[in-house]
Amino acid sequence: MTDQRIDGYARALFEIARAEGTLDTVEDELYRFARALEGSEALRNSLTDEQIPASRRQSIVEDLVGGSASPTTVQLVSMVVGSGRGRDLPAIVDSLVARASSAKNLELAEVRTAVPLTGEQESRLAAALAAATGKSVNLKVVVDPSVIGGVVATIGDTVIDGSVRSRIEQLKSRL
Amino acid sequence: MILLATEDPTRTHSWIWPEGYEIYFGGAASIFVFALLFKLAGPTLKKGMSDRTARIQKQLDDAANAMSSAQAEAIRIREAKGDIGSERARLLAEADTQAQQLLVDGRARLEVEIVDLETKAVADNVAASGRIGDELRAEVARLSIAAVDHVVSGSLDAATHQELIENFIVRVGAGR
Repeated sequence: MTDQRIDGYARALFEIARAEGTLDTVEDELYRFARALEGSEALRNSLTDEQIPASRRQSIVEDLVGGSASPTTVQLVSMVVGSGRGRDLPAIVDSLVARASSAKNLELAEVRTAVPLTGEQESRLAAALAAATGKSVNLKVVVDPSVIGGVVATIGDTVIDGSVRSRIEQLKSRL
Repeated sequence: MILLATEDPTRTHSWIWPEGYEIYFGGAASIFVFALLFKLAGPTLKKGMSDRTARIQKQLDDAANAMSSAQAEAIRIREAKGDIGSERARLLAEADTQAQQLLVDGRARLEVEIVDLETKAVADNVAASGRIGDELRAEVARLSIAAVDHVVSGSLDAATHQELIENFIVRVGAGR
């Protein structure tokens, strides 16, 4: 899929979410779903398999995220998957989040943790990252068990790695 | 006539000699024949004898020449035999020299090769030792990492997770 088409889908999703007044929520939910899709080969195969009818793929999406995400998010994901662009969903969502961050004049900060953060922790972490980088951040938290423990924050080209995984990697290098 | 009539015509006067007239006529005829032979066949006979003498002389000369040639050839062969002997001696000496040189060169080359092989063997030994050491260290590291991974993952409870997150927030907020 070309960058132009990805941007087109991202712009469409962005406009729909903004029109619905749920941009923050949708953006956050889509971001989590995109990361989950990247991390699960089985899910990726299910949602991108052209042999599976579009209606079946859409029902998988609804079964998967219908109970935990907003209706707008479910419909948008279902639309992308139904149109046969499931493989490009992470790129579309990344473009959407970049567009939303730019619209809010924020810097995208991806945070990976082994366990979910509380709302209060997210706020404090966003403030801490803003203080550290001098930029207001659009925090996106991804629960990633491979982190093992701690936090990995990526803001643009800057990576702040406080994960147990990196400590183990350092120990491995020393060994 | 009576006398003649009394003689027996089937008997001779002597048991060895012929009749007198036979001797006279026979002798004269013989002399005539010999004279005729001497006159007519003498020159031919003399020429034949001369030719035979000349032919024999020529054969003797040819034999002498052949003998001279054979002696010259024998001398040449003897000389050539002498040359062959000296050439054989020279070739043998040269072969000995070359063999000796080959032996010296071969020994020198073998010594160099032995030194090279020993050096290579030592280097291979060191490399193998290093490689085995590296592999052993890598294996120990891998096992250690696996053990650390297992122990750390198993020991991270909810409180520890929260503590790690809080520490990260504080550290980042404090300017990393």
